[in-house]
Amino acid sequence: MNEPQLLRISHVGVRGVVGPGLTASHVLDFASAFGTFLAPKVPVVLGRDTRASGVMIREGVIAALLATGHDVIDLGVVSTPVIQHTISRIGAGGGVSIGASHNAAEWNALKFFGPNGIYLSTAEASELLDIYHLKKFDFVGWTEVGKLCLQDNAIDPYLDDLAQVFDLESLRQFKVLVDCCNGTSALILRRMKERFGLNLILINEKTEGVDFAHDPAISRETVGLQLAPLMQPVAADAGFLFDADSDRVAIATEEGNPVSEEMILPILADYVLPRVPGRLVITNISTTALVEEVASRHGAKVVRAPVGRQAAIDALTGYRPEQVALAGEGTGAVMMPQFRFVYDGIASMLAILSMMAERKARLSEIVDAYPRYSMLKGQLPFASRRLPELLMEIQMAYSDGRVTSIDGLRVDWPDRWFHVRVSQTEPVVRVICEQRGDPPIALFEDLMGRVRSYV
Amino acid sequence: MPRREHLLKIGVSGIRGVVGDFLTPSLACAFGQAFGTYIGRGRVIVGRDTRMTGQMLQHAASCGLLAAGSEVVDVGVLPTPTIQIYVADTGARGGIALTASHNPPEYNALKLFNSEGLFFNQYERGELIDLYHQSQFRRAANSEIRGITKDYESGPRRHFERILRHVDVEAIRRRRFRVALDGVNGAGSAMSCQFLEQILGCDLRAIWVDPGKPFPREAEPKPESLTELAALVQREGCEIGFGQDPDGDRLAVCDENGRVLDNDDVLALVVDAALALHAGDVVVNLTTSSVVEDVARRHGRQVFRTPVGEANVVERMRAVKAAIGGEGSNGGIIFPAVHLCRDSYTGMAFLLHRMAQTGKSISQMAAELPKYHRRLGKVSYEHGRLGMLMQSLEQAFPGVPADRTDGLKLLLDDGWVHVRASNTEPLLRLAAEARSAERLEELYGRVVQALQQS
Repeated sequence: MNEPQLLRISHVGVRGVVGPGLTASHVLDFASAFGTFLAPKVPVVLGRDTRASGVMIREGVIAALLATGHDVIDLGVVSTPVIQHTISRIGAGGGVSIGASHNAAEWNALKFFGPNGIYLSTAEASELLDIYHLKKFDFVGWTEVGKLCLQDNAIDPYLDDLAQVFDLESLRQFKVLVDCCNGTSALILRRMKERFGLNLILINEKTEGVDFAHDPAISRETVGLQLAPLMQPVAADAGFLFDADSDRVAIATEEGNPVSEEMILPILADYVLPRVPGRLVITNISTTALVEEVASRHGAKVVRAPVGRQAAIDALTGYRPEQVALAGEGTGAVMMPQFRFVYDGIASMLAILSMMAERKARLSEIVDAYPRYSMLKGQLPFASRRLPELLMEIQMAYSDGRVTSIDGLRVDWPDRWFHVRVSQTEPVVRVICEQRGDPPIALFEDLMGRVRSYV
Repeated sequence: MPRREHLLKIGVSGIRGVVGDFLTPSLACAFGQAFGTYIGRGRVIVGRDTRMTGQMLQHAASCGLLAAGSEVVDVGVLPTPTIQIYVADTGARGGIALTASHNPPEYNALKLFNSEGLFFNQYERGELIDLYHQSQFRRAANSEIRGITKDYESGPRRHFERILRHVDVEAIRRRRFRVALDGVNGAGSAMSCQFLEQILGCDLRAIWVDPGKPFPREAEPKPESLTELAALVQREGCEIGFGQDPDGDRLAVCDENGRVLDNDDVLALVVDAALALHAGDVVVNLTTSSVVEDVARRHGRQVFRTPVGEANVVERMRAVKAAIGGEGSNGGIIFPAVHLCRDSYTGMAFLLHRMAQTGKSISQMAAELPKYHRRLGKVSYEHGRLGMLMQSLEQAFPGVPADRTDGLKLLLDDGWVHVRASNTEPLLRLAAEARSAERLEELYGRVVQALQQS
């Protein structure tokens, strides 16, 4: 199966290329399933990112939720963390976020949240999928149809809560350059600037009637496109890049160097762990081993789950909230307990700026102080039928390492590791190798060669 | 075999049903997308009446339109004729009104309009329904998706401007008529008050003009449902009372004595007013009273008859360039110089205009019309027996000229009978008219007897 994938319906919701993949009919059916899944007649919070197709999807979601008897509180264009914050603040029964996060503009997606703004567990998501597939929806009688309420002031209470956790006053000393990539972060940061006087310079901050200025992916490459080259010309102290729904973030130093998105989690672990000694860091098995090194400095342990948001949610549910310091991925998505375990790029940005303020350090000093790890990533198409064989061959070839097989195959040695797995979003095998110090080129080439021989 | 209740109708007139188990948001969305695909890229005007399910369905239909690449203009709660005029006025590609007109509140429907703000003709309707069934909709990509703009302001103004070109506003204002209004808490509630009070300068006494409240009475404006209006007219000493349906296309009229006029007579009065203003013939449906012919004859004009249904009347009016038309029994008045649609506002303005011009009361004007006796009724029938019923009916009236364009209409010298199958239910609708009450009862009795015997 090497056709380009245009639609994916899974435990994390529905996602696709609008038009050829994701249609109005999918939207109606999925939102009707969610309305049926929720407790009867609970209010539902709705928001969307800045994509043009979000307007179409919004109409369908509203219709389906009203028809299943729910009042809808529409926040308009907002970030996913603001939606989650609002669900919990007003005690809504759930929420829907329309937006494809870091995917290209032609994609869109629906993400679903339960009470308190938490992601659905795997069991709940399975139930939702079953209802979707059965297409037996509980449409209410005509007198019970829900009402729509527009609320355009959800950002202020969210900022109030951020101001409780971070000393925003102390962050006014920094000149901060932000590449909003025409996403929802622009709306939040503009308001933050107004209310708290932060010195934020926004680029690509238009949110209506424009295409994304560049690929909204969060990576060292996209940081290097516009943000990093502008750092020195504007003499900024720190640079941040957000994806369209502001749950992920990447950084550039004041010297104009793009920093790998893998660094966000170790940096934030370094900031958070001293405040909450003895707590765990939860991440996935594709994320840098620097996390372990940072954690061990603070006497903390790292728990590694399979890749994907759903696996992270399931891993989190295995612990009490007070046992966890933070959770995140190498993609720049990190959640901290102060924010009810929601991936929140804005909170991540404030934490990094707070770290600079507390340590009285420049961003490059913080980043450069960590030991160097080098990561190589590759991907190749594959034949599904022969995958088990491929993984077995690789495992045999590297039998001297410590094997983890919860998601594809990961093999660890004291100073290096690799992970070979099938992508959940594209029909490719991903190969990731990391080594403390120089890049593990020979290991990477060998693995890629083996994968290629199975195509 | 017991019939399973299925309260949904998808057919050439669009999609209509009881919201909940039958008319779902998915259906409305798919129909919106079929419509958007059919009319091609461009602006589509979307509005609704005040039904509790209207907002939900408007969002569903808009979703389908946007998915097809249409640009949506949301005009909010407006009467159907106002939406149609908005479409024509702004050069949009088409329009959708979420309204089930005079149907009970549990119903809702999508009414579809072409770029002229008119119902599609029968051929276009067939193409659209085929497209819907084939589900081969246009699916716009992100870069092709247009947005929604809102205009809750200009609709009423556009509509009033068109009407006011045809009546003597100053004459009406000078009379400062005391007028009663029953808005059924429908889409016209606010707009009718503005029209009568501010534009036409009436001393208005209105009931049920809160669009946020449910319908307080049966949605169809007719004598049985307008008792409160009649009481209001008498209590307040009004010179005339108007009753609307939830989407403001139908009009019923109550005279100063609190008597609700026969809708055929109302149409005849409006035809009289219109023909005094505009040259042209008249189009009505087969069930409309012969009083319209008498009025047209006074002006030297001809009357064309069509099958029942607004779209049929409009299609013929367009073809013969009629000056005025309508459907008697259901309160529809169509004056093409304003727009080719049923319009209660044109009706109100014309009647007030006539009262101001002639100085006569509405009851006087009605009394001057030739007197006909009419009776409407319905009987249920079994599927498969329709042909036999029609044959035996024809045999009961041997040698009488017949019109078979919509069911069977038998034209006697001193009256007529019309029997047709309902489009929506397994019912035969009966209508009879004669110059005297005795003759009417005789004709009606013969029809019922013929149908029962076979």
